[in-house]
Amino acid sequence: MNKIKQFKKVKFNALIKKFRSVRFVLSILLVLSLIYTGISAYYKVKYWGFSISPKQNTNVWAIEAHVNFIADGSPIEVNLAIPSKNKGFKILEENIIANGYKTQKSADKITFTARNMIGEQDLYYKIMVFDNTNGKDKLKDEAPKAPKKPNLDETTLAQAQQILSLSEQIDGNDAIEKLIVMFNQEPLDPALKSYLPVQYTPKQKLEIMQQLLSIKGISTRISRGLKLEEGQKITPDLMLEAYIDKAWHIYDPDTGIRGLPDNFLLFQRGGKSLLDVIGGEDSSIKFSLQKSITSTMNLASRRAKLLRKAGLYNFSIYNLPLSSQNSLKWLSVFPIAILFVVLLRNVIGVRTMGTFTPMLIAMSFVQTGFWAGLVCFSFIVSLGLLIRFVMSKLNLLLVPRISAVVIFVILIITALTFLGYNLNIKIAQASVYFPIIITAWVIERASIIWEEDGAKNAWSELSNSLLVGIIVYFVISNDYVQHWMFVFNEINLVILFIVMLLGTYTGYRLTELKRFAPLVKRK
Amino acid sequence: MFNWFKAIKELPALLRANGILGMNARNYAVIARHNSRRLYPLVDDKVKTKDLAVKFGVNTPDLIGVIEHQYQVADVLKMVKNHSEFVVKPAHGSGGKGVMVIKNYADNQFTLASGRIIGYNELYQHISNILSGLYSLGGQYDSALIEEMVHFSDVFKDYSYHGVPDVRVIVYQGYPIMAMTRLATQESGGRANLHQGAVGVGLDIKTGKTKLAVQHNLPIEIHPDTKAELRKIEVPLWREHLLIAAKAYEMTGLGYFGADIVLDARKGPMMLELNARPGLAIQIANGEGLKQAIKKVDKYYPKNLSPEERVAYVLG
Repeated sequence: MNKIKQFKKVKFNALIKKFRSVRFVLSILLVLSLIYTGISAYYKVKYWGFSISPKQNTNVWAIEAHVNFIADGSPIEVNLAIPSKNKGFKILEENIIANGYKTQKSADKITFTARNMIGEQDLYYKIMVFDNTNGKDKLKDEAPKAPKKPNLDETTLAQAQQILSLSEQIDGNDAIEKLIVMFNQEPLDPALKSYLPVQYTPKQKLEIMQQLLSIKGISTRISRGLKLEEGQKITPDLMLEAYIDKAWHIYDPDTGIRGLPDNFLLFQRGGKSLLDVIGGEDSSIKFSLQKSITSTMNLASRRAKLLRKAGLYNFSIYNLPLSSQNSLKWLSVFPIAILFVVLLRNVIGVRTMGTFTPMLIAMSFVQTGFWAGLVCFSFIVSLGLLIRFVMSKLNLLLVPRISAVVIFVILIITALTFLGYNLNIKIAQASVYFPIIITAWVIERASIIWEEDGAKNAWSELSNSLLVGIIVYFVISNDYVQHWMFVFNEINLVILFIVMLLGTYTGYRLTELKRFAPLVKRK
Repeated sequence: MFNWFKAIKELPALLRANGILGMNARNYAVIARHNSRRLYPLVDDKVKTKDLAVKFGVNTPDLIGVIEHQYQVADVLKMVKNHSEFVVKPAHGSGGKGVMVIKNYADNQFTLASGRIIGYNELYQHISNILSGLYSLGGQYDSALIEEMVHFSDVFKDYSYHGVPDVRVIVYQGYPIMAMTRLATQESGGRANLHQGAVGVGLDIKTGKTKLAVQHNLPIEIHPDTKAELRKIEVPLWREHLLIAAKAYEMTGLGYFGADIVLDARKGPMMLELNARPGLAIQIANGEGLKQAIKKVDKYYPKNLSPEERVAYVLG
């Protein structure tokens, strides 16, 4: 009791001073953490090569070419064309797996040689490439000889001329684009249709285009490459190259668009073949492509090793297994979400259901996507409320009642996911990501507020929570925020001190200004 | 439409000049500093508050019994055997939630304040709900209090649409600094929440007379339902009201709290409950800021006075 009385003696103003000193210490810590973050971020960018923009994160590709053939016992020589001198993409790492083979690499191909091999053979060529942006359309290569005029009989030549003159009337930037567009029209021009064989492969189609263009005196060639799309085992994509104005230009044979498309890796140019197998039969080549999630981190470790700054790097979170890194990446978004919740509650003064419910709503929106999440959440909560109203007539005790709501939520989610899958409604399938317990509590609280304080209050709290959730969602789903919070995770320290400083904020909340405004007017 | 831009620019300084206490300042500079957390259970648990009140000679409705466990619920009939009227309330409830007033008990039938008659089963269910934490803060297990019913004095009879208003007194360092009463209206659904449309009447701390009456933040003259003139309110036994509030300071050791006091027709003012985090709406009802009053106490009011002396000091 004595202690309490002593405590009470401290005066209001003296207390304010004391809080100021707390604020002072926290401010110093905040400044220190800012300096530390700045230095650390500089170090990471400079020595580890972490990028400030999240975009480069996504542009590293692991590409694997898998050559398969049956060896017949005679000496084997396999020639595989490889991407070379490619300005569009930079090869980071190259890896050849060919047991029992001698390999020799030249500028644009790898030669595998071996003797005494029998049976099925598997050769792997793996590369990691990343986009080093500029240099897209500058495809320098030696000038071709003037194209040979094709040797065609008169009727065929007349047909070809007709097609070429028809193609002139099509919209397009140049003759090549016009012709490609014509080849891709639906339905095909009758003249062209009769010129083409009944069935033809993409390559045959390109060869016919080449033939036609050669009549016009344009040199062309077929190139192979890979459209960088994740996951699929694919055969190479073909491109048409034409020599115009003393440079090779590349054309997409499906659209006629000139220039190398984004995320397209040229593998082999000119007429040379992609794969030659001597001493084997049934040869095939397959490609698999994978986008690496934490690829800047991979880059960084390589850079760190090169610069002999690897020690610190090896001791950082970026050297953990990928799965752990992905969890940490997710975790490191939480502090910024928390900061926004604190700001919205203590500085703006928004009343929400539970402190962190809006944050958890936002988290599930990240999993589901915004609209799917919003529609699903509203649906689950509305249906849950309806069921809860029926249940309130039963007068159940608290724990069994909330448990029943939890089970109802699970049933609703199950039904939505099932219907979503079977009726192919993507939005409904998203429901599986909602945190069940939190959703159940939102329903329970909303229905209690509804019963006690009326529908208006229940709706205002529900919509406030959803609004805060949406705001937090837009913050944490931002690529830059996600990237920065993980790559420069010192920011978390800064946020910590900002949150603690906000804990000493004694000013008015924004909504209080409105609430107490009449007190001023009356004076 | 409220002009937010202008409000942000000008209002904070004006509110500060008027000594208005904001929620953050209340939590940080007043409650966190003057109310030690270990003292909270004394006011959050109505059984403990009641025990303390009895010990300190503060008038409070008599306790008939406490039901702590589910197996005791069946004992309720034994407890109220000799009482024809009683109140059941959760020990950890707030804002009147879960309070059941039984104004007549006879032949296993319970007549509620609203006139509705319920049987034993419904009473049993209600007590079970209280125990399971339906009305407690945070949904924790709770116990049920059975106490004597208050026979409200009819001072407020003309002023309230439903229910009977209590007087809320804010006490800082043992000094009553601000008081109000909340009058239910039809709009507020018989509830005493100002934001739902109840009328807040600021009471002059020296006299217990109406200082200001507001509904929806705007001053009003007459009660919207009963048409009674609000400025005519004068709480009788005002000194006793303040004394109960002031004594609660010694009782709990809390530096800042709100005391809810009702006036019983026979027994005079009674302490109903204490609140360690009283709301800020009282400022609107009084048209005055709490910070002003707090600063005055810190600066000028003498220390180490008895409750009686403090009340005398306040009454001037």
